[in-house]
Amino acid sequence: MTSRDLILGKVRRALHRDGVEPGPVTAIAESLLSEPELGRPPLPEGDLRSLFASRVTLPQIGGTVCVVEDLRDVPAAVRIYLEEHGTESPVALQPDPDLMQLDWGGLAFTSGISPDQTVAIQKALWGIAETGTLIFHSAPNCATLFSFLPLHHIVVLEAKHIVAYLEDYAVAAGHMAVPRNANLITGPSGTTDIEGSLARGAHGPGFLHIIIVDKRD
Amino acid sequence: MTALETDFKPFKTRVEDALANRTLKVAIERTTGTARLKRAAAVSTWPNFAGARDLGRRIKDHVTSNLDHYLIEFERNAIASGAKVHWASTAEEACEIVVDICKAANAKSVTRSKSMLGEEIGLPLALEKAGITRVETDLAEHIVQLAGDKPSHIIWPALHRTREEVAELFRKHHHTPQNSDEIPAMVRSARRQLREAFLRADVGISGANFLIADSGAVCTVTNEGNAELTTTIPRVHIVTAGIEKLVPSLRHAMVLLRLLVRSATGADFTQYTTFHCGPKRPGDADGPEEFHIVLVDNGRTHMLGGDLNDMLRCLRCGACMNHCVVYRQIGGHAYGGTYPGPMGSVLTPELDGLAGSRDLVHACTLNGNCQQVCPVDIPLPTLLRGWREKSWNEGLEPRSVRRALWFWAFAARHPFLYRMATAVAVRVLRLFGEAGWVRSMPMAKGWTSHRDFPKPASRTFMEQYRAAQRRARK
Ligand code: SF4
Repeated sequence: MTSRDLILGKVRRALHRDGVEPGPVTAIAESLLSEPELGRPPLPEGDLRSLFASRVTLPQIGGTVCVVEDLRDVPAAVRIYLEEHGTESPVALQPDPDLMQLDWGGLAFTSGISPDQTVAIQKALWGIAETGTLIFHSAPNCATLFSFLPLHHIVVLEAKHIVAYLEDYAVAAGHMAVPRNANLITGPSGTTDIEGSLARGAHGPGFLHIIIVDKRD
Repeated sequence: MTALETDFKPFKTRVEDALANRTLKVAIERTTGTARLKRAAAVSTWPNFAGARDLGRRIKDHVTSNLDHYLIEFERNAIASGAKVHWASTAEEACEIVVDICKAANAKSVTRSKSMLGEEIGLPLALEKAGITRVETDLAEHIVQLAGDKPSHIIWPALHRTREEVAELFRKHHHTPQNSDEIPAMVRSARRQLREAFLRADVGISGANFLIADSGAVCTVTNEGNAELTTTIPRVHIVTAGIEKLVPSLRHAMVLLRLLVRSATGADFTQYTTFHCGPKRPGDADGPEEFHIVLVDNGRTHMLGGDLNDMLRCLRCGACMNHCVVYRQIGGHAYGGTYPGPMGSVLTPELDGLAGSRDLVHACTLNGNCQQVCPVDIPLPTLLRGWREKSWNEGLEPRSVRRALWFWAFAARHPFLYRMATAVAVRVLRLFGEAGWVRSMPMAKGWTSHRDFPKPASRTFMEQYRAAQRRARK
């Protein structure tokens, strides 16, 4: 007997049954979520963009935000950020069509992402107002490591892709193929492992800067 | 002294050592104190937290009572995503599977992202025996590994170490250690040190916080980002997960994530919440080429449908230990098992046998704090009482305890005797008291050497009650 049979056999003995009809089980699972408000805290008043921005910049989350009007304004916003942080090293740019077609002026890029990357720029698929979370799906033009290797993680987020709750993302993602990695990122890396005191940049980025593109069409 | 040495001592000695260790108490209070405050603050901003907690309980109970369905559904979807699914009945079998995968991958070095299940099945030792270099990447686990310790808390495994001790360890073991003892400098030193290990590793091993049945994805949560570096860079990713970690869908996982994170650290959400689904896809820029999931039973099917069924809801958030008066006095190592605190006292007898852990089920005041803060309402005090009864029925209680209880029961059936005995007792106790407290007393050193107790009133309650009634009658 394989361990699989053994385990499933024991489970079924404990549940006093030989098999199970999937239909009713799925229906019960669904009914548990029939009142979505029960499983989540109420969102404060306000538009999603401001809610997202005020959450992600809370000290305990530690992100920074700037708002631009158009995607074309992103390179200038990036330059300001880099100057503020005094970094001149070349930047890793996610090969995303929207980012690639921008006029980056004289900014120097690295060809991929390296283990000691200082800055990487990436585009988020969604933002979640409830928690101040950014979402990335791995893909040929979206390396997971872009979100984890750099010291400074700069993220472009379109305001129209900010949703209210984590479940809104789950529903939207349900219409797409499941990616190899779905990364939900809420602020820069941190640790409280030494005496419970918070320190940034444990393994992932020490800084997370979000450029919200607030184009209203 | 390291935790490994403590293991061989009896529970009573371990507790005495822990109580005598002032630094340990300070260290525990710093971390759990902050955790309690932050959890309370997080919960208070959610008006109907109680409703969500009840929903969390119902979701987990639904999964447990349909575990066969969800295991099969998860397996089917995981295989479809390209994952290889393994099943392990016992801890040994699980370790064997992991070691075999590592050997097949010709692995010299593996990185590990913190997993309590890995500790439970003894994976660190199994890898060591197989001659495979293991690098713990969670900062706390890294500290624990450098010190040759064992984790003392399920969320903050190195909570028993002060910053000075950590600084010393890093100076001894890191290539380019910090040049100041400030915590951020130490964290940067660990970042440099572990970055190399991430890049060198042939295999990355993680646990799972949730297994999503309808997609076959595995959810991990960290605040450091070490899980993703552990699982994305090496050629092979192995997940070890307890079979109770299943949830029906991503939406169900979101409800439980909210409860888990608030209860664990008081944050609303972890910095990094990742859903891993299968190996690298064609054209993917990164990711592991092989993705293995080891589904581990190790006693869980024995708990299913039995007295410990409720324990299968446990999210491993650690709130019960942060709020436990016993844990806060003695810390995690004194418990001796993989899991400390109230949830550990319930699980250890199941995992390691009651005979060797009967002391644990008594090391509890039954004040109920643990159940109150548990995000899935596990009746920990009731489960502990169940173990106590079992211990009594199986004759595991020592003769001294049985005899003392016999005397007590005898006295309780003879009120005159009982009253006389208590009246003598309070008078004797008062002889040792000063300024309201008993600081030292012969035959009670086990208590008084680490804490005082209030000097009792001059008369027993019954004596005072009688006197009051007599006065009233006059
Ligand atoms: S028993 Fe409850 S409080 Fe304790 S770790 Fe498990 S889920 Fe958390």
